[in-house]
Amino acid sequence: MPIVHEGLKKELEYVTRPGERKHIEEIFERADPFLHDISHNLIMGKQHEVDRLTKEALDKGFAANTVLDDGLIAGMAVVGVKFRDNIIFVPEVLVAARAMKAGMKHLDPILSASGIEPLGTVIMGTVKGDLHDIGKNLCIMMLRGSGFIVYDLGVDTKPEEFIEAVIEHDAHLVGMSALLTTTMPNMGRTIKAFEDAGLRDQVKIMVGGAPVTQEFAEDMGADGYGKDAMACVEKAKELLGIGAVAFPAPAAR
Amino acid sequence: MTNSNVDKERLQASMARLFDIYKEIAVVADQVSTWRCLYKDQHDRCTAKFGCRNQLHSRVPGELPVCTGDDRLDYRSAWEI
Repeated sequence: MPIVHEGLKKELEYVTRPGERKHIEEIFERADPFLHDISHNLIMGKQHEVDRLTKEALDKGFAANTVLDDGLIAGMAVVGVKFRDNIIFVPEVLVAARAMKAGMKHLDPILSASGIEPLGTVIMGTVKGDLHDIGKNLCIMMLRGSGFIVYDLGVDTKPEEFIEAVIEHDAHLVGMSALLTTTMPNMGRTIKAFEDAGLRDQVKIMVGGAPVTQEFAEDMGADGYGKDAMACVEKAKELLGIGAVAFPAPAAR
Repeated sequence: MTNSNVDKERLQASMARLFDIYKEIAVVADQVSTWRCLYKDQHDRCTAKFGCRNQLHSRVPGELPVCTGDDRLDYRSAWEI
């Protein structure tokens, strides 16, 4: 059926590569118009609307798979195209990813009930004294997309906050980010805090950020270093002993 | 299929597709970071939670500062805590 959602039709104008346009249009054309609203709100980064509409779709009886494919992922596909073609930039992508997370919140319990468990639980934060978060946020988006549960502690995270989060969420992996040479030592201090708390053997710690190197990571006693968001996911899987697995339920939090 | 009866194979394919979208986003983000500050949104507003010398603050409360960076220099040297 033709797409009648005016906002979505406008967004599709940004998809200019013919094959890509055809593919995305086909997804929207076969989808129920109610799901168009979810896609459009996700593209616009309206997390509260995506939250509400996803719940409503499930309440109406739409299958979880359908809501995921034809609502959330279809919207994110348009976001990816707009980003690739420099129509939007990282802040808009991250807002859309936040909306995706808001929708996934309602799908997670249903998807988990299918018997597939998340890959693991990760605590992520930018270290104390550092307010730079965009690299960390990209890593979180990727980790969630890979099937990890991620708890984001935000920026300026004290060592004790990392420790409390690990205990509270029974996490086995911590990811720390720093962008300043002046705050990099706080990664080492956080690792030391885990040692002092007697928890160092229970968690793997990975680090990243523009000034961080493999050598620095090793010197401060981290278990792994990821130079970018993709490497972060690979390192997380490696540290938790996860091989090339099929994708599980996303369990985005 | 009902909500409680999830098609596992379809779910795996969906998650793989989502991961592919994110993967491409990560690659593009890496490329974009070489010519544009990643904190600058599509309206050239700064979304950073920290101060930057390139920020031109608006008089309108709650409005994001305008980024005055020209992207020709390494913008990272302008970042402050």
